[in-house]
Amino acid sequence: MNQRLTGRASARREDTPALGSPESRRRAIKARRLRRGGLALLLVAPAALAYIVFVLRPMAQSIQFSFYEWNGVTESTWVGLDNYAAILREPEMSGSILNAFQLIIYFSFIPVLLGLFTANTIRGFATSRLAIVSRTVLFLPQIIPLVAAGIMWSWLYASNGMVNQVLEAIGLGGVARAWLGDFDTALPAVGLIGAWVALGLCMLLLLAGMTKIDPALYEAARIDGAGPWREFFAITLPSLRQEIAVCVTVTVIAALASFDIIYISTQGGPGNRTLVPGLEIYRLAFFNREIGQASALAVALMALVLLVVLPLQRLNREGDS
Amino acid sequence: MVASALVLAACSAPGSNNDAEEPEESAPATEDASALDCGTEPVTLKAYIETGFPLATELFDEFEAQYPNVTFDVREDQFAVLTQNAPRVLVDDPPDLMRLPQMSELASDGLLLDLDEYAAAFGWDTWPASQLEQMRVDDEGRRGNGPLYAMGLNFSMTGVFYNKELAAQIGMEEPPATLAEFDSYLQAAKDAGLVPMAQFNGGATGGLAFPLQGLMASYGDAGEINDWIYQQPDATIVTDTNVQATEHLQSWIEAGYFADDINSMDYAMMMSRFIEGNSVFIFNGDWESGNLDAQMPGNVGFFLMPPVEEGGSFGAMSAPLTYGISANAANPACAAFFLDWIATNDEARTIAVEIGGSHPMGPADAFMPAVAEGSVTAETLAAGAAIGAQDGAMDFIANATGSVYAEGWTPNLQKLVAGEIDPTALLEAVQAEYESSVG
Amino acid sequence: MIVSRRETWLGRTMLILLMAVTILPFISLFVTALHPSGTYPSGLEWPESPQWSNFVDAFKVADMGTLLWSSFLIEIAVVPVSLFIATLAGFALGHLRPPGARIILVAFVLGLTLPREGVIVPLYYQMRDLGLLNTRWAIILPLIGLYMPFAVYWMRAHFVNMPEDISEAARIDGASTWQMFWRVHVPLSMPALSSLAILLFLWTWNQFLLAVVLVSDPAQRTMAGALGAFQGQWGTDIPLLCAGSLLILAPTLIVFLVFQRQFVSALLQGSLKG
Repeated sequence: MNQRLTGRASARREDTPALGSPESRRRAIKARRLRRGGLALLLVAPAALAYIVFVLRPMAQSIQFSFYEWNGVTESTWVGLDNYAAILREPEMSGSILNAFQLIIYFSFIPVLLGLFTANTIRGFATSRLAIVSRTVLFLPQIIPLVAAGIMWSWLYASNGMVNQVLEAIGLGGVARAWLGDFDTALPAVGLIGAWVALGLCMLLLLAGMTKIDPALYEAARIDGAGPWREFFAITLPSLRQEIAVCVTVTVIAALASFDIIYISTQGGPGNRTLVPGLEIYRLAFFNREIGQASALAVALMALVLLVVLPLQRLNREGDS
Repeated sequence: MVASALVLAACSAPGSNNDAEEPEESAPATEDASALDCGTEPVTLKAYIETGFPLATELFDEFEAQYPNVTFDVREDQFAVLTQNAPRVLVDDPPDLMRLPQMSELASDGLLLDLDEYAAAFGWDTWPASQLEQMRVDDEGRRGNGPLYAMGLNFSMTGVFYNKELAAQIGMEEPPATLAEFDSYLQAAKDAGLVPMAQFNGGATGGLAFPLQGLMASYGDAGEINDWIYQQPDATIVTDTNVQATEHLQSWIEAGYFADDINSMDYAMMMSRFIEGNSVFIFNGDWESGNLDAQMPGNVGFFLMPPVEEGGSFGAMSAPLTYGISANAANPACAAFFLDWIATNDEARTIAVEIGGSHPMGPADAFMPAVAEGSVTAETLAAGAAIGAQDGAMDFIANATGSVYAEGWTPNLQKLVAGEIDPTALLEAVQAEYESSVG
Repeated sequence: MIVSRRETWLGRTMLILLMAVTILPFISLFVTALHPSGTYPSGLEWPESPQWSNFVDAFKVADMGTLLWSSFLIEIAVVPVSLFIATLAGFALGHLRPPGARIILVAFVLGLTLPREGVIVPLYYQMRDLGLLNTRWAIILPLIGLYMPFAVYWMRAHFVNMPEDISEAARIDGASTWQMFWRVHVPLSMPALSSLAILLFLWTWNQFLLAVVLVSDPAQRTMAGALGAFQGQWGTDIPLLCAGSLLILAPTLIVFLVFQRQFVSALLQGSLKG
């Protein structure tokens, strides 16, 4: 889930210790730069090559394919921006994008808010035995494949699954239903799988950030007579700006680019209610064999992710400085 | 870096220089006529089949026993997965034998082997023509005419299975003769606190298409539905009788005759509920007859969707269980020989009936195994004969185009269950999806 | 820090509740795996007679040995190569800082947000043209490329923060840049490298989209891809599916429990640095 993280934050907050006079150091570096230039480029070459061949070239091809109608086998026809117009026109594709944005609520907001709340309540005993055990447990969803999360939860959500069993046990049998088959609950249900996966990571990241806050700040606030709420909003939240930006970025990308969980749990159903761009690209390209249309949606998805994520990085950088 | 990547990519339009990679129309005529079997050298036939149905693997086992030089390398997937994979697999990992989903685009794009030469060599063209009709595709993707692109393991038919014990409980002694009578039994089951019908309709499977098509044939004309499925010019699914049929289905949904979780029910769960006695009726095909005879002996009956008025027209989906050969298959002759063997070998025909529950393909006068009286297999075979006499056989409405099931019927039937779409809008949405691929 | 008793109590309850929500799906998976194959058990319910043989059956039908071997082969190709070339590039960009380093870095960083779905279609045709579809190479090669933005960024961040005078000292001893890299910088980078190795290992093991699109034979896939195939075939047999899923999860869970400290710190750092 966090493999496509972004941002420029560095975990380190201490400065690199500098030795030697700054002046001579700077000159030495300059001279060396010229000498090392060639070697450096040579060292970058293998990584750059892999990146160009397997990322940038396919990216460029996605853009190129998106202007054609092509079934992958026979000749292609240039169609200009038709494929992009179709994204707006066809409810299936535009709907998939809206669904992805709705997923942000579950993949992002819930884990971050709940993570903040929990981390704030437990920061007082962050080093206790219970907290240490919880690290291991809460990380489990992070290390298993999303496919496995999808399989587990599909079963929990089934009409005779555990979710309904629990509801009946606490007297809420009336709301029991086949969660993934119901038009109103399918998307939230799928979204909560994402929340389950992300919660542990977000909580622990925020907790780690909280333990770095100078306790003197809190003491000062207490002396000023601040209550826990003001403390939280005046000290904790601003200090965590970077961690929050990271959590939001990681989970927003996971929401917009979701595929694994949906593929396994609902295949986009019922009635396209959980269809997301990732799955629609897959269906268009490999099942309908509309390569151009699939590529246009892929380009739109890449652009959307950038549009949403870049502003977040500003927040992140401000927090850094 | 970005610029160089763009240059690399921008050399030519996609698809313009890969004529060489187009699947070759390998012609069996170039092969020695005597090589129309599996020879004596070791052969491995790569097969890609639907999981959950034992018929194919039983046939493979029997064939391996009769021809020890042949082994099958089998990959299995659920039908929805197989459908999604079909275009890719046929080109890039070509199987010798594959359970085919809807095949018009697969055939017209040249992914499937043209079997006409084999048909002539093996004499398939002397069988009743209607058996092979659905598997003929012309170069525009219309079915019904043109070269033969697939063969059936048998031809199956759908209708209504019922649990005899539960039926007796609600006072149903005989299968209903009219739709109104059927409605009254559904209501009786509901009143008795039973689940009248569990029907799979979840995930990527729009199983309500089964009852819907039955209703369409009761209200309207099976021939018109076939025209639509075969992509005849100007065919439309939005007809008055089809709207009536969809409204009838909707009335069942609204009356609560279906289990309330059908939008998340898969096929296996439906079968499990029915076998455990948790559903009075299910809409399904005779491919389950053998299984049901084994699991609930003597307790299952079968009837076709009843007509609106007694003695009126009715119909049933009846389609071959299609298997094709990839245009790039390594062992096409051996695969074709296997397909011929299924229809002509006595052992194979016995398996087709006993395990498959359906009528085998082949000459009209070919061997038929004896079937136990009172078994549901006997009932479905008899119903097949009745449909033949009525001229009521239809292909499956989900087979009209490659994507009409996944993107037309399934999502819209699920919406119908949720009350999110009305019958006319449902048919119009399906028609729009159909036209987008028939174009 | 002074924490009120009420707060502690609330915190502990919340933590335990969260842990329960996290762990219950695993327990449900396990309990369900013990029910007779082909049945639909209801919720969390201990079976009358636990069917331990389901695990044996699942092991056989999933062909676990082959799957493990396949994932191992993919890992052994992807992780070392990615580490090696990313370290070279990170060293060059972070330490040697040639002219244009900033632009090159920005080009790599661009790839950090890339959804895999954005390139999967062209990758398919690229692999087809190279004749690599349905081979492990179709997963290995693109993965190395796709990891570069993160891996190069990570290693560069490490080398940027390495004190200059270490190199100075080595240089005075007459070491060439290359020797300096191998003898001084790489040994000092072990913590950063091992964290990166853990992350790449996990991501490769759990890679699904590439496996599902580019490789149809489960025996040539990653573990997550194989699990997808297992679900595709046995998804209708819930107990068997649960048993198979647990088996496929087992190696990761074991490795995680053994190296949990390293995993947790790698994942936390990974998020922050990325």
